[in-house]
Amino acid sequence: MLGEILDDLLISTSTGPCITATRHFPARPPVWAPFPAGLDPRLVDALAARGIDRLYSHQARAWELVEKGHNVVVVTPTASGKTLCYNLSALQGLLVQPDARVLYLYPTKALAQDQLAELEELAKALPDLRMFTYDGDTPQDARRAVRARANLVLTNPDMLHSGILPHHTKWAMLFQNLRYVVIDELHAYRGVFGSHLANVLRRLRRICRHYGSTPQFIMASATIANPGELASRLIGDAVEEVAESGAPTGEKTFLCYNPPVVNPELGIRAPYLGEAAKIALRFLAEKLPTIVFAQSRLSTEVLLSTIKEGVANRTGDSGIVRGYRGGYLPTRRRAVEQGLRAGDVLGVVSTNALELGVDIGHLDVAVLAGYPGTIASLWQQAGRAGRRSGASAAIMVASSAPLDQFMATHPDYLFGTPPEHARINPDNPFILVSHLKCAAFELPIGEDERFGDVDVRRHLAALEDEGVLHRAGARWHWAAETYPADHVSLRTVTTDNFVVMDTTARDEKQTKKRQIIAEVDWGSAFSTIHPKAIYLIESEAYEVQELRFREDEEKVAYVKKVVVDYFTDAVSAKGVWILQRLADREHRAYMAEQGEVLVAEKVVGFKKIKLRTLENVGAGEVELPQQEMQTTSVWLTVPPATLDRVSQSREELIDGLRAVTYLLHHLSPIFLMCDIRDVGSWLGDTTPAATGAVATRESTRRRLLEAERFQPTIYLYDSYAGGIGLAERLFEVLPLLLARGLETLEACGCRAGCPSCVGPVNEVGRRAKATAAALLRALTA
Amino acid sequence: MDTLDDLRRIIRRIEKARPPRPAPEPIEHAVGGALLETPNGSVVRVRHEYPRQHRHGRHAIEAAFTVSADILSLLGRAGDAAGDPARFVFVDTETTGLAGGTGTYAFLVGVGYVEDDRFVVAQYFMRDFDEEAALLSALEPVVAGASALVTFNGAGFDLPLLETRFILARRPSPAVVPHLDLLGPSRRIWGPWLADCRLITLEREVLGLLREDDVAGGLIPTIYFDFLRRRNPAALRAVFSHNRHDVLSLAALLGWLARVLGGDERGLRPEEHAGLGRLWERSDLDRSRACYEAALAAGLSGEGARWVRLRLALWEKRRARWEAACALWEAAAQEHVFDPRPWEELAKFHEHRRRDAQAARAIVTAALDVAEAARAPARVIEAFAYRLARLDRRLQRSLFVGGDGPA
Repeated sequence: MLGEILDDLLISTSTGPCITATRHFPARPPVWAPFPAGLDPRLVDALAARGIDRLYSHQARAWELVEKGHNVVVVTPTASGKTLCYNLSALQGLLVQPDARVLYLYPTKALAQDQLAELEELAKALPDLRMFTYDGDTPQDARRAVRARANLVLTNPDMLHSGILPHHTKWAMLFQNLRYVVIDELHAYRGVFGSHLANVLRRLRRICRHYGSTPQFIMASATIANPGELASRLIGDAVEEVAESGAPTGEKTFLCYNPPVVNPELGIRAPYLGEAAKIALRFLAEKLPTIVFAQSRLSTEVLLSTIKEGVANRTGDSGIVRGYRGGYLPTRRRAVEQGLRAGDVLGVVSTNALELGVDIGHLDVAVLAGYPGTIASLWQQAGRAGRRSGASAAIMVASSAPLDQFMATHPDYLFGTPPEHARINPDNPFILVSHLKCAAFELPIGEDERFGDVDVRRHLAALEDEGVLHRAGARWHWAAETYPADHVSLRTVTTDNFVVMDTTARDEKQTKKRQIIAEVDWGSAFSTIHPKAIYLIESEAYEVQELRFREDEEKVAYVKKVVVDYFTDAVSAKGVWILQRLADREHRAYMAEQGEVLVAEKVVGFKKIKLRTLENVGAGEVELPQQEMQTTSVWLTVPPATLDRVSQSREELIDGLRAVTYLLHHLSPIFLMCDIRDVGSWLGDTTPAATGAVATRESTRRRLLEAERFQPTIYLYDSYAGGIGLAERLFEVLPLLLARGLETLEACGCRAGCPSCVGPVNEVGRRAKATAAALLRALTA
Repeated sequence: MDTLDDLRRIIRRIEKARPPRPAPEPIEHAVGGALLETPNGSVVRVRHEYPRQHRHGRHAIEAAFTVSADILSLLGRAGDAAGDPARFVFVDTETTGLAGGTGTYAFLVGVGYVEDDRFVVAQYFMRDFDEEAALLSALEPVVAGASALVTFNGAGFDLPLLETRFILARRPSPAVVPHLDLLGPSRRIWGPWLADCRLITLEREVLGLLREDDVAGGLIPTIYFDFLRRRNPAALRAVFSHNRHDVLSLAALLGWLARVLGGDERGLRPEEHAGLGRLWERSDLDRSRACYEAALAAGLSGEGARWVRLRLALWEKRRARWEAACALWEAAAQEHVFDPRPWEELAKFHEHRRRDAQAARAIVTAALDVAEAARAPARVIEAFAYRLARLDRRLQRSLFVGGDGPA
């Protein structure tokens, strides 16, 4: 049935021409290995009870390496029995040494709960193994019991960071006897989150040293280019990789679908969400379990309604299609997961929340509405369809964004490029210092003690000056009343969060009932919850009535539920100024530099955009303070000689450069493993910081036009204070990025600009595409 | 420290070492103490001695050292295990904050105990963080020799904190001694009547002591941090005094409990009689009843009286002493503030015990009137309405069937 639908898609005149690439992955048989000689007979029995009498090759290899005392990271695809790679060693360790302790870390509470259930199944017949989750949901009286009795504790980074480490004396038994630390879903720990975890683990290892234990780390990751390197940087020690999977896989077909062009001149294609829905409905009509991945919460909701409508029209029962995203309540998500496993739920539309390891059974088809942003996510999402035997399919439907178009038209790249490198920067000064405070709270820091491998003497002295540390004897002690872990969020760099409070409801006595419904970090607050902004949660709209952010007060956005047909998009004035040059490289036609910059942004107003049609239906003004952030950036200055060769008109050049900036920004994720929002871009000049002030695009344009010396500069910077290593990488690959940009432009069929290359023509100007192409040719000559 | 630039500026500034400013006079003298040598270095100790009959507030503290085992077991589970009260050690700590966790230090630990014929309050103080080992070393023998530790909220705070400090210093926790926390019994006695159950409140309301120029507890951490940086002991004196007062009040409070629970009920206020009733409930219902009745006799009124009456009525009900129970319910129902419970009990009594649905209905109707006039919450009114409807149905049936008349 599956094969027939795929054939039909390829052959039919309406869809056939849209398929830009097809790849077949043949089935693979399993590679077996016998149970290791030292495996405890009780474990052998427990496995036999579950029908397992031998291991896959990678499971045996992982065991071997752990026995030899190595830290290990297992990198095999989803559904390859990764968990047994660590469960086996962990349980063996506990059986062999009854007072040993093991710690399991999962990125979320839900995953930890799932894993506990699986462990309990496996360990049913094993004596004396006390396994518990310990997280925000654990009731107070249970916590004492867990600390005292558990020999296997499952938790998450946030709880480890603020609930366990700062209270390590209550966990003395655990830390004294810690044998293994198991970390699953390692690939989730990249970027800011990973940089924070690396520091949390530095603190963990420090505390273990204090109690005299040296635990081994057993880790598992999805496929990324550098699992060994990531693992090693996260734990600060050497790691052995197990990458060859012995698990069997069924036959798989991967299709790339590019919606047909409906307006050639303007370069407009059929809406990709609609196309994705149509394709998904084909499979659902034949009762093939299908998952559809959407790239944003809004598109998930839109896709879900479209598909439900389609299914209801055919069969009258739309309950077999469910939605799934991080914002849903846990009970709803559990219900969907179970439904998928049991087969009651036939189709699910989800954000990348379902990319992570939760067991959702086996699906036949995965439809990706839009390129997920990274090669690694692509394979994770595609990997959700697949059985150990029998065929499955994955279909990516490209959106109009330049990156998607690039992927759809370059199948060799799409299929040939290894997943991106996962980058972390544990030494980002803001992140590092936050954790130094926590470390000092946990155990005074010795004068000559290094944190990880960083010499932190100056940081410590700076913290003393700030008044939170005090040096006594040869050690730095925490000398403040506060609890530092409370002021560090592992998912953002700076720590002030806004709470969003719903003031719509009133209680029995008719006084306003305030309910916190969301949290927004300081960096995105002004652009997402400015006064009069529409904030969407689970497709329910709230309008921001008031935003409070006085220095010493809690930061709050008061919202009220509304029923509207539009959403808002903030308009801001920006500015980027160079603070310090750290490196430079002269290329033939341009100068590339890298260093620290100050990025200032001021939200000045907003556009009202109609939900269904995406047309502009109004605007408003907002008065908010300027936000400044110091971060790392790469910048490219085009010398007058090059500019002259391209055009004599400053206006044209500015339009062209803007276009190039847009393109480079949108293509940069190809070279970094990041979301497009992790990078910011700006066309400005090289004015030093002191004289800068923010300006809207229009006024910046005017300034460039009227400046005496025309020195336009393209900036590409990390959107996180202090930087997380993206700018450094861009500095290295800049020529490749420029080349990629030129390729994309030349291959684009639109006449004068479209969202897939330089942006819509009415926004960028008629000559923008041509000028951009000329500029890129000059820069890559 | 918000920006990389600030960080750089700060570092540049402090590259030159700053010599510490010497203190004008040794700290231990400034606070009226001396240095004590321990195997782990020296620590500041301040000692005050008081006669056993010392009055802290209205009463002498002496009763605390002779409290009987029976009374001790009233005060909590630890009371059963506690040994000779003459070897109790009263403990209060001053810390660098309330956050708990491994980064909170007890920089001043005050202990009170009987030595020969005196009550000694010894206070151990660390002049800096690296003196903590000496502090713990000096504290150890005092605590280890105790028959019980007496604290106020020590179960929740002081003792876990001290245990953490011992573990961090890699020292075994001193011998496990029973711990008597006076917060629990205090809450049972005074909880409903006082605005809060903080030691300083009890000091004022129960012991009759008003501190002069006491330092606010919330400021203490800041005072210590300031001392660490500037080495000026002036403000510390107030902290020592505060801590000393706390230890004495602990002893005085235990003394009060010993005296009153031992039978000396002079000068007790009506609320305190009722509070004692609550305390006795756990072990001696008769005594509890006697206290509640004494409370009412002494003029207890308002919500407290209502609560006491309901409690007494519950016991009368259990012993099927209906007249007494009804009298109490009726009295409780007469209070100004509407409380549905006595009305409910009366209605139930008439309906199920006396089988007089008419009388029950009259009660419920009256209750509804009062409830509505008092603007009671909707669910309360609904409950009565439901009861009324049910009674009506029952009366209807009895009209036809001929049963359910008065018993």
